[in-house]
Amino acid sequence: MPASTSHPRWAPYVFMAPFLLIFCTFMIYPLVQSIVLAMQQTFGPKTTVFVGLKNFRDLLGDRFFWIALRNTFVFAIASVAIQLPLSLGLAMVLNRPGLKGRALFRLIFFSPSLVGIVFVAMMFALMFHERDGLVNAVLRTLIPHFPPEFPWLQLYVMPALILAGLWMSVGFNMIYFLAALQSVSPETLEAADVDGANRWQKFRHVILPSIAPVAGFVTLFSLIGSFQLFELPFILLNGPGPENRGLTVVMYLYQYGFETGDLGYASAIGWTLALILVGFAVLQRLANREQ
Amino acid sequence: MAVENRMSARLTNGLTYALLLLAAAITLIPFFYLVSSALKTKDAFFSSHFLPRGDGWLGIDWTGLTLEHFYVLFTEPSLGFARAVINSVFYASVFSILATLCAAMGGYALAKFEFRSNKPLTALVLASLIIPAPLLLAPGYQLIYRLGLLDSFTGLILPGVAPAFGVFLFRQAMLNSVPLDLMEAARIDGCGEIRMFFTLIVPLVRPMMGAFLLITFLGAWNNFIHPQIILQTPEKFPLAVAIAQLKGLYSTDYGLLMAGTVVSIAPVMCLFLLLQKDFIAGLTSGAVKE
Amino acid sequence: MRGRFQRRCQDCFDLLSPGGWIICILAVAASLVLLFWPIPKKEGLVFWIFSQTHQRLYDPMTDVWNRAQPQEDRIHLLLLSGSALQRRLLSGFLSGTPLPSLVEAYALIVAQVFKGPLEDVGFADLTDVLHQEGIYEQINTPSFAPWTSRGRIFGLPHDVHPVLLAYRSDIVEAAGIDVSDIATWDDFVRLLQPLMRDLDGDGYPDRYLLNVWETNPELIEILMLQAGGALFDAEERLVMHSEINARVMATFVSWTTGPNRIAVNAPEFDAAGNKMRLDGTVLCSLMPDWLTGTWRQDLPQLAGKVKLMPLPAWEKGGRRTTVMGGTMLGIPKQVSDFATAWRYAKYLYLSKELARALFRTTGIISPLKQNWPDPVYDEPSAYFSGQRNGRLYIAAAPDVPLRTSSPYNVLARVKMGDGALALKAYAKKTGQYTVEELLPEARRQLAQAESLVRQQMQRNVFLAREHD
Repeated sequence: MPASTSHPRWAPYVFMAPFLLIFCTFMIYPLVQSIVLAMQQTFGPKTTVFVGLKNFRDLLGDRFFWIALRNTFVFAIASVAIQLPLSLGLAMVLNRPGLKGRALFRLIFFSPSLVGIVFVAMMFALMFHERDGLVNAVLRTLIPHFPPEFPWLQLYVMPALILAGLWMSVGFNMIYFLAALQSVSPETLEAADVDGANRWQKFRHVILPSIAPVAGFVTLFSLIGSFQLFELPFILLNGPGPENRGLTVVMYLYQYGFETGDLGYASAIGWTLALILVGFAVLQRLANREQ
Repeated sequence: MAVENRMSARLTNGLTYALLLLAAAITLIPFFYLVSSALKTKDAFFSSHFLPRGDGWLGIDWTGLTLEHFYVLFTEPSLGFARAVINSVFYASVFSILATLCAAMGGYALAKFEFRSNKPLTALVLASLIIPAPLLLAPGYQLIYRLGLLDSFTGLILPGVAPAFGVFLFRQAMLNSVPLDLMEAARIDGCGEIRMFFTLIVPLVRPMMGAFLLITFLGAWNNFIHPQIILQTPEKFPLAVAIAQLKGLYSTDYGLLMAGTVVSIAPVMCLFLLLQKDFIAGLTSGAVKE
Repeated sequence: MRGRFQRRCQDCFDLLSPGGWIICILAVAASLVLLFWPIPKKEGLVFWIFSQTHQRLYDPMTDVWNRAQPQEDRIHLLLLSGSALQRRLLSGFLSGTPLPSLVEAYALIVAQVFKGPLEDVGFADLTDVLHQEGIYEQINTPSFAPWTSRGRIFGLPHDVHPVLLAYRSDIVEAAGIDVSDIATWDDFVRLLQPLMRDLDGDGYPDRYLLNVWETNPELIEILMLQAGGALFDAEERLVMHSEINARVMATFVSWTTGPNRIAVNAPEFDAAGNKMRLDGTVLCSLMPDWLTGTWRQDLPQLAGKVKLMPLPAWEKGGRRTTVMGGTMLGIPKQVSDFATAWRYAKYLYLSKELARALFRTTGIISPLKQNWPDPVYDEPSAYFSGQRNGRLYIAAAPDVPLRTSSPYNVLARVKMGDGALALKAYAKKTGQYTVEELLPEARRQLAQAESLVRQQMQRNVFLAREHD
């Protein structure tokens, strides 16, 4: 739709002004500043020393950073890989014609994303308790010879985090998929029926391509979100957890920046994270273009 | 033939509902757990998972249930809980209103006006969506320190009032729902630009307004890192931080913790129930199109 | 006229959905409430503490102080959780957010403050005033160690925290064992081993000698300190990889692992651990003075069944105590009224009355040597079967080893603990459980841990500069 040309000249600038002012001050300026910071070592925001690329060199050799990176990667990829099919599946089930109570189910599945990470962490800390937790109680009834103590939060930290993350996010992504499914054109589906396509073929050749853009969008944003995992393990484990099993990149950034005061190293960690995510976004762009 | 079809149809129907009910149960169990934990006394806490079992009516030990945790939560002065609730309401509502306003105006400008900087600005806004928020934690903190805004609500609210995601959503919404001829007609009638925005444009994108208001309200209400970093005076803490502090290092009063969590999610649930339709409509309208 | 007004209202109302209006109403309401509910400004000086016990002890003394002072010199106590206190203190030091006039902090918190250059340490340097007023000589010297960085003292010590060994006298004496025969850890294992019996016939002993486990590496660290080893030396240099440390680690793992193990995991402050102590599943525990108060409160059933003895030494004639924990009182540099804050600090910490109340409530002995003759420490304890626990701890006080103030101590301790766990796994894998067999691997693990910690330390340009 063509934009208006008969407007007074000042109009768009006035409307953009509040956003632009705050955007430049609190996003562009710190972004540029973070490059400078990444080349300093600080003890609080007052005391800084220029160290050039030392932070990045240290990062490469920093074993904790690699542990954090590995944990974050594992969480992000496993989470997204499990979550997306679940969300899609749930959306497809919910999309069946003539389903009763669809609005109610939609509400129920969406409610976990409303509650905030602090709630999830508190709840799952209790539910993953090695002796009396709900999760172990359920598993004990389902699996014979289940040990009386199963230390989720000490040895099986990553699966616990993934489960908690799943509970929180499946419903949210389901909404997107639901909307996408509802926009699949019924004529194409009918045509496929006429051609004698079975359910699987319909799914692969009609539904999947038509929801591909939304699926791409959801995958990208889920990955980006998962890579920024911090509050959930931080509150669940009261820190990085035993043997740093719950240490993530953003948690390491927070620890260095705000528990030790070295904002410079924290910035270096932040840039490394940003570069990784930009890489993903570029990949997604390329994948889209090929289609 | 028809009978078989009906039978298989009934089977898949039954399976569908069974699956949905199972998924719903898994989703809702933590909520039941939360509410029942908030109501149990300290002694009855670990005796069972949900309601304490006993000899009372329906096999439940009703004496193991209590409202004392809620009472302590609001009357214990050292917790400052009532104040934390007000702080959260203030922070989330003011933040969401300001952010929605800025985003709507920004999206409006980018969608409906032709001006030289339009293309580059749009590109800038889209590109900034990729920047991970943690990257800006450290330099942002330094900036707020330099501006002297540490430990103040201004320092907490101001930086987030320019949401690139919001501008992106509103731009989509405006492109889809605001007809150019209506704007031209209003201008010919002599309607001022600002008046036109509030009286004509905003009602047209009402679903997106509602959706974005709720998203940002939600985000601010549940936000934990930023208040934790920027605010230091305990009287200024919002709920998320106050609850996290209830978790002690050696011993945690779980009943109190769960009661606090109930208080923190109840308002959000109510708000969502009211804004449900707008929310889902608004959310999807901004994402589905390319 | 009226129609137009109604239409105007309707138009206005259509701006937002009802939920949107609710948010607006909430915003206005909350803003008004906050406007008329200002945060009360506290007159006088604020004192941050983290221990509820301390609050109960300090309140009456602070009331007496406040009654005799003008408004601006009054003290208000504020109780915070440990982690909240740490975060707020650091934020105050590094970023200028509000700070108290006095703060009680434990070693973990204080060490963080020492991570930057000396001139940026947020606490006031008390070295000179302590010497000038003669207070330095009055206090047991090792108590200053964790609060001293690069030779300057930044806090007033609260305690000494010597460690003795508590044992189940009812069980040990019933077996006819005389604990005065135990001089070294080897004696300890040898003489008490017969007590490890299998009482229920399941093939596993139901009684263990000592309550230690690798999941609490602080215990390994204090044993290293006892033996003359340490993770850091007096100049805060990393010395993890030493022969003494390796020997202690190997011995520790030999105690907890294998068919001849004598130790069991019965953590303090834990319901399961307490049950083990009550049942006699564990016979002895490392007992710092502050733990005696906790046992008296949480394990009253053991009254009259436990006794204290000096720690078995690592070699004949060696040190028979060690140290665990510590708290100090610090005054932030930026305080507006240092004189009053310091006056109150002395009033509180140098008070005989407080020392007595502290000892009677928690068992903690005073760091002030002039308080040691006080008869309160001679009161026999019914809990410890008539022993004078105060006197026993005071006897150990001058021998207490030095604790480091290095900001990397926690990291070093954690890495050392990881090394101990790795050594334990190695022992199980190779079937080697004696000290001599484990020694080479222990050395290897310590070397590895040390290099990890050194790598992190070398990053720090502020400390590196000062060491040059």
